[in-house]
Amino acid sequence: MNLKISNFLLTITLSTKYLEVFQRYLRRRALLLITALLSIIAAASFLIYLQNGLGLAYNDARSHLDIGRRVVEGLKPGLAQLGSVWLPLPHLLMIPTVWNDFMWHSGLSGALQSMIAFVATGLIIYLFLKNIKVGLLGRFFAVLIFTSNLNILYLQSTAMTELLILAAMMAGAYYLMLWHKDDNLLYLIKSAFFIMLSTVTRYDGWFLLFIATILVVVNVWRKQGYKATEGTVILFTALGALGIVLWFLWNLLIFNDPLYFAFGPFSAHAQQSQIYEAGDLLTKGNLPLSIKIYTYALIYNSYAFNALFGLFGALLLWSDRKLKPAVRLSTLALVTPLLFNVLALYLGHSVLFIQGQITGNTWFNVRYGMMFMPAIAIFSGFLVDRIKNLRWVIIGLFSLFTFFAFASSDAVTIDDALVGSSQKNVTEVSGWLNENAADEEGFVLISAASHDAVIFSSGLPMKRFIHEGTGEYWESATTAPDRWARWIVMRTHDTNDLTFKLVSNSPGFEKFELVDHYPFADIYQLKPEYLSRLHTEPVL
Amino acid sequence: MRGNYGNPEENTISEPGWTEYGPFELSPERSRFGLTYSLVENGSFHFSVPVARFILPDLGFHNGHYVSLFAPGVSFLTIPGYLVGKAVSISQVGAYATIALFALINALLVKALAEKLGAHPKAAFIASIMFLFATPGFAYAVSLYQHQISVFYILLSLYAIVNWHSFWSAATVWFLSAASISIDYPNFFMMLPLMIFTLLRLIRVKAIEKNMTINLNLKGILAMVTMLIPIAFFLWSNFRSFGNPFQLAGTVQDVREIDEKGLPVVEKFDAASTLSISQETRIEKSTFVFFKTRNILRGLAVHLISPDRGVIFYTPVVLFGIFGAAILNKKRPKITALLLSIIGINLILYSMWGDPWGGWAFGSRYLIPSYAMLSIFSATAVSRMRQSKILLAIFFFILSYSIAVNALGAITTNSLPPKEEAIILEQTSKKEEKYTFVRNWDYLNTQGSKSFVFNQFAKGLLGAREYYFLITLPIIASAGISLVSLKLAGKSQITKKI
Repeated sequence: MNLKISNFLLTITLSTKYLEVFQRYLRRRALLLITALLSIIAAASFLIYLQNGLGLAYNDARSHLDIGRRVVEGLKPGLAQLGSVWLPLPHLLMIPTVWNDFMWHSGLSGALQSMIAFVATGLIIYLFLKNIKVGLLGRFFAVLIFTSNLNILYLQSTAMTELLILAAMMAGAYYLMLWHKDDNLLYLIKSAFFIMLSTVTRYDGWFLLFIATILVVVNVWRKQGYKATEGTVILFTALGALGIVLWFLWNLLIFNDPLYFAFGPFSAHAQQSQIYEAGDLLTKGNLPLSIKIYTYALIYNSYAFNALFGLFGALLLWSDRKLKPAVRLSTLALVTPLLFNVLALYLGHSVLFIQGQITGNTWFNVRYGMMFMPAIAIFSGFLVDRIKNLRWVIIGLFSLFTFFAFASSDAVTIDDALVGSSQKNVTEVSGWLNENAADEEGFVLISAASHDAVIFSSGLPMKRFIHEGTGEYWESATTAPDRWARWIVMRTHDTNDLTFKLVSNSPGFEKFELVDHYPFADIYQLKPEYLSRLHTEPVL
Repeated sequence: MRGNYGNPEENTISEPGWTEYGPFELSPERSRFGLTYSLVENGSFHFSVPVARFILPDLGFHNGHYVSLFAPGVSFLTIPGYLVGKAVSISQVGAYATIALFALINALLVKALAEKLGAHPKAAFIASIMFLFATPGFAYAVSLYQHQISVFYILLSLYAIVNWHSFWSAATVWFLSAASISIDYPNFFMMLPLMIFTLLRLIRVKAIEKNMTINLNLKGILAMVTMLIPIAFFLWSNFRSFGNPFQLAGTVQDVREIDEKGLPVVEKFDAASTLSISQETRIEKSTFVFFKTRNILRGLAVHLISPDRGVIFYTPVVLFGIFGAAILNKKRPKITALLLSIIGINLILYSMWGDPWGGWAFGSRYLIPSYAMLSIFSATAVSRMRQSKILLAIFFFILSYSIAVNALGAITTNSLPPKEEAIILEQTSKKEEKYTFVRNWDYLNTQGSKSFVFNQFAKGLLGAREYYFLITLPIIASAGISLVSLKLAGKSQITKKI
């Protein structure tokens, strides 16, 4: 390096080889660099949300952790505890860690997989763009868009399932694109594998499998005709749909109904039916409203301008003749979260409330809008790469609104968890249990379907609770509560609460007294004179 | 220009003839004029009680003094106009004329920049007419707001960048960037692209064989000392106002009422009661006072498509600038990127603003800098469109519509409620409260005009509506004649460059 000042001109002469070495290093070590940086960001975000108490703000996060915990600890531990409410992969992944009380109660057991998925998604975004001939700047910019979104950072810090499915879906879409590009069957198998993982994480994955299968059909048919298409589709779906088949089988074996997850009493369908009957499922059968509501969610999650960049990037990508038509077509897989969510709202399989909109003055499931963020990141990275004249304008504007997003702590997903329908303040009930039941003997009769968050927040071990998943204990306790339960937690007069439904007419229930009453649940305690006949140890 | 004859004094300034029915209809005007008045008449940054009462409800209270909630630059710049006006008994008109003067210079700068960027001179002229008369910039050229001055700082910096490549270009940009903050705090962000552009121009990178040479123009860097003058002024004015050079005007305690003893009544903000006290008070102001990304969606809707403020209703002609930008991007990519980044920042910033309506206002006043940029782009678009009669006819139609709408605002009132407030107002007033420029039309037909010229010289000769047509038709006619002459003109050398 050479430095020279003359006539108010500072001249620095550098050998270009240093620059080349740096560029080479960046190219070669990019994945390592991204992994390291994203890991640090993931860990730091988790710690921040753990410290400020928001890490487990979603009731669903606590329920997920409880499901995982019940597999390894409780009155009837075992795989059957995975149940049917949610798809099993997130809970299966918790099993190696959730036995530990810290991992369970800090939420780390569930957040860990979200954090790993966050890093993985960042890497896939980078690789995806690299393989469609996007330069370093576009790739890093896309990763930045994904990682500098507070909604993503929050959800990767909590025990929710969104980040896990994002990683699985993105990996599936990535390998599907590679297969379209190179016709290497190995990529198709990898794609099928990751799509299979997504199908056992959330139902969004099922739609991806459907779309991906169509893309496979179109691609092979165009190139090789019907016979090859048949073979390829069988190969793809044999692995891709394996998770779905196993899920049907699981439901058949455990609940005697392969469609129990879909139509059972705890299914989303049952929940949506209630909302529909209450007149709140306004998107059902209303396509414009479904599109509008999901667009709102998408915009709130992406700070609006990211969505705009993504839109322009997508249009540019789909019209870019430098890319093979098959590759362009394959990127439609990235759009599946958008299509799925709109369709789910339209068909009434999903519910999404946006505060201030027709759907009510609350937030509910607004986090679904975040599902499109990786696609937005990829399309935006493409935009920055292709619009060379304006790339710094885009990056500059992105920096401006992202700065303000952080300055105003704008994470709609946190509001969704804190002030919306996803939130229930169970601290009073769980606090009562912790204070009055922790050091006493006896079981707590409670419906996990209605009060999993109470179970989690009470701090009591899972084996202190008799719930729907405890088989004979549940049957015995709901028939003769005075023999099995020292405390009953339930919503009185609410037949949706299974405990109330089964116990309220039981003669043993008269031996209980109401000891506290809260907005979300009441607590009943067995009168002291009946304690002598109470079972306090697991005997079944 | 809006105005009344006479020099307002402390004992007369709050009379309805000056406020509600006069030129000081909204609190941003009152506050800025109040500071000018205090500085000149009382030699103080602090308001006397009568002036404070005049300024309500956008009034600050700090260290026992009534102070302004607005950046002080506009009030300082209008002092010469105020003094000249005072000498001939029109101090308010003199102060307002300063803004009109800036607007005229802005129009000239739009023309000069458009020409410099390759537009046909006649197209550049049309662009200047467009900015001056066919955007809400018109309504804010005849009243006491910061927007035209902010635009002047941006345009002059652009002019320096486009025309000069020397120490003076950098010095101008640095100076104006620092000075712009005293006009309006968000100007810091608006000037940011100009500063970055200037900084990058001082760095030249050349690759020669296996070496890379980076030249840094130290003169341009040294020119940053010019920033010290406006920064020093800014800190001094803050110190004189608040006793702390780093205290910003908007951050002090606001006062919405003054009691009989002249002391502030600090109450929790109540939307309904405030509406009854002062119709221009903004509901949103106390709820959202910062830039928040959560507001973007609503902000964009308000600025672009809402009937009460939206660009497509008030000044659709500027949308031709989008085509101009696409054309110019091919020939002058760097300048296009610079102009687009100013538009982008403008749009993002005021979409995040808690009150995107700009209180009671005419059109989307916060986007006035973008209208200027889009006018420059439009000159390029018009230069290209001149080959098509149909396109020119469409352009003329939309330009005429935009002029008609904005002239309506300029000669009547800026006091248009946001739709949400209009709905609330209807409940108290028990009558229909319009929130679009139709309200201006009603005003024109029922209450006339706030124009100084009309009220002083023309009122006895013609009605307000005739005056409106007298103003509007010549503007439209001159735009039409320019378009026709543009169509008839042969291809100039400049147009070929495009």
